[in-house]
Amino acid sequence: MLCADQDLADVMQAVQNETGDELLRLDRLIQQYREDPRLHFLRGSILAGIGRPIEALSSFREAVKLAPDFAIARFQLGFFLLTSGEAAEALSVWGPIALLPDGHYLRLFVGGLTHLIRDEFPETIAQLEAGIASNQDNPPLNRDMHLIIGRVRQIESAGPVAGSADSSMSATSLLLGQLTGSGRLH
Amino acid sequence: MKLKRDQGVEIVSDPDRVEASLWRRLRFEGNERCRETLFTRYMPLARALAAKYLKAQQTRSIERGDLDQFAFEGLLQSLDRFNPLKGVPFSAFARPRISGNITDGMARMSDMTAQLGHMRRSRRERLVSLQAAEISGDALDQLADLAFDLAIGIMLDDTGIVESADGADNRVNVYEGLAWRQAQAALTEEISSLPENEGAVIQHHYQNGLNFATIAELLRLTRGRISQLHRSAIERLRRRLRHFQER
Repeated sequence: MLCADQDLADVMQAVQNETGDELLRLDRLIQQYREDPRLHFLRGSILAGIGRPIEALSSFREAVKLAPDFAIARFQLGFFLLTSGEAAEALSVWGPIALLPDGHYLRLFVGGLTHLIRDEFPETIAQLEAGIASNQDNPPLNRDMHLIIGRVRQIESAGPVAGSADSSMSATSLLLGQLTGSGRLH
Repeated sequence: MKLKRDQGVEIVSDPDRVEASLWRRLRFEGNERCRETLFTRYMPLARALAAKYLKAQQTRSIERGDLDQFAFEGLLQSLDRFNPLKGVPFSAFARPRISGNITDGMARMSDMTAQLGHMRRSRRERLVSLQAAEISGDALDQLADLAFDLAIGIMLDDTGIVESADGADNRVNVYEGLAWRQAQAALTEEISSLPENEGAVIQHHYQNGLNFATIAELLRLTRGRISQLHRSAIERLRRRLRHFQER
């Protein structure tokens, strides 16, 4: 059984307002609605944002397990694994994203990130830009992809410069606004 | 310009998540290789604490290698006791434990043991490992093989297996002979194709300076097994580098 949209909206509002009890409230809701994938996804996002990555991953996995066609959760689970240095696992999680229609922004983002994993930088940029152009649903994700494109361009122009992700990138990608939009597989 | 491999993954990697992933796989998914990766990741911390101890002890003759071993023991104990869900950074958790283990270790160490010195013990350990091979065939050939095996050990010491932690290439050294340098380069190539456990023993012993007991603890194998793996790795390297032996 899924929780009422209003309950979910209230918790999301608490997260945005940083009331401090958002996780507690969310956990109470999860106790009532254990099978609501949105709650687990939100929990994963909150935990990722407060530096509890082990538990965050567990929540993301639970969301995808409960709703294998919850595309945005699947995308974010893969992205979380990629940022954790588990590229092979990310690709495996992203597999079903290929079932989305041609031109779907998540499919294009996954295509771009797959090229990134293979160090194929021009293709990475092309696919991510195409994804950004077709993504009207999820502006925070576009910002993340812009950041990645910027990094790739830096590497391409500067040669071998080691660096890690801008922390703001992975944080924003996991925060709110992800539960809306056309994130379901077809 | 040639780009470094895996740069794409690196630019999206978040160091905290990468570390959390190692802990998660070690603690909750039974991936023992992650323990080794975490150990290698925190070796510089252990070494730094050993160096700090050495600096503070001005009156007593102490060999750095011994301090490092105690620091590594402390690191291993910390790895096994750390709870990654508690929200404390591993370095903060491990630091006092490593320092404590160094202090305890030095107190336990008898003067005689201290005099023997880490380097001599380490070389003796290698010799025992290599001599344990089955005796057969011509004695002179065996001696030649043993000498070559020991030479491989010296080369490994010198190479630092191509790169030291700071990325510097240490291959060119006092042994400037072309053949020696060619053998070193070939050796470096061959190490990467050793079976996993043999490669790990060679890396940890020659590159990281771990004694067999510490490697045994790290890989959760017996000390005897580490000695066998060492011998097997050196013999494998010898077979692959036989053309240098025959020059």
